[in-house]
Amino acid sequence: MPVVTPILVLIILAAGTVAGGLGSTLGIGGGIFLVPFLTLGMGMPIGVAAAISLTTVIGTSSTVSAGRTGSHLINFRLGMVLEVATAAGSLLGGITAQHMNQHTLERIFAAVTVAVGISTVTRLNKRNIVRGDGLDCGRLGSRYLEEESGGVVSYRVKRVPLALFASFVAGNVSSLLGIGGGVIKVPVLNAWCGVPLRAAAATSAFMIGVTAAAGAIIYYGNGQLIPPLAAAAILGVRAGSIAGMRIGSRASARSLKILLAVVLFAVSGLMLYRSLQ
Amino acid sequence: MSVDADLERRLGRVLTVGVRASTVFLAVGLALSFTSGATSVASWLMTTGLLILMATPVARVATSMAEYVRHRDWTFSILTAIVLLELCAGVVAALVFHRRL
Repeated sequence: MPVVTPILVLIILAAGTVAGGLGSTLGIGGGIFLVPFLTLGMGMPIGVAAAISLTTVIGTSSTVSAGRTGSHLINFRLGMVLEVATAAGSLLGGITAQHMNQHTLERIFAAVTVAVGISTVTRLNKRNIVRGDGLDCGRLGSRYLEEESGGVVSYRVKRVPLALFASFVAGNVSSLLGIGGGVIKVPVLNAWCGVPLRAAAATSAFMIGVTAAAGAIIYYGNGQLIPPLAAAAILGVRAGSIAGMRIGSRASARSLKILLAVVLFAVSGLMLYRSLQ
Repeated sequence: MSVDADLERRLGRVLTVGVRASTVFLAVGLALSFTSGATSVASWLMTTGLLILMATPVARVATSMAEYVRHRDWTFSILTAIVLLELCAGVVAALVFHRRL
């Protein structure tokens, strides 16, 4: 267990701000940056880092989702269907996290992020949307007003079983490694299920609150959550994610995808490095 | 469509209240923990803040379920009820781990 000092609290506050800013811009929470920082940078056990990170993920999800209400970017129906799978995955992950060999998981995680990063890069110019509001969106599809073009964007959701499976895996990885799981869900929803990146990111950000809560409560019960460090990280991430949200709606879809791919490759490298130590 | 807009507004309110309340508890608790003498109060505030934060998504799912039941949308009532049960199972698992400490 790390010793809580004012300096450590301040470092975590700053790291949280950066992680929150990047995370909310990409719709993948801040955990993907915070966990490698806390484990590789600050030398914390992965369980302690994961517990802190999961609480920040809840904060990011709630802040970002509350700020987005009214924009119709969040697909509530799709989110609630997928939450059934993601919460189940998270629950199982949280329970097994205490007994598992982390190195194996880190390698799987590194492989998954590389695969998803490649798929994001190869689909940079593909758009899953139909202009105008004439399209029948089906039961789970939706439409929203795109800020960039000022037009209405419509989409249908394809391959729902795949989305459910990805959500289950995301929930599982989320609890085991302390990330939100958006890093898996957003690219799958975008690349294979027909959901535009913006809507996929908003819906994922909405869901990860539930994912992270299911995992965080288990870490809390197991005594791995250190309140002052979690408080510093949450406050930092909250400040950062409010700033990131403003940038996110202005940046273009293409540059967001490139940024996401870069992040995926970097995280993959870090995870692989960690698993080989 | 108006059902969804109504739901969106309600959920936004639940999330905002939860996050703001937990932020206040965490910020005051963290500030107090730096000024010596009030450490037990500080840790109580921070723990309460964390519990409020973890309860926020649960409250959001519960609100969704209540809304779907009110509108007699049984498919989504059942789906949200399952999510709520899964979250409750998480609390049970946490209590089991806690007792083993």
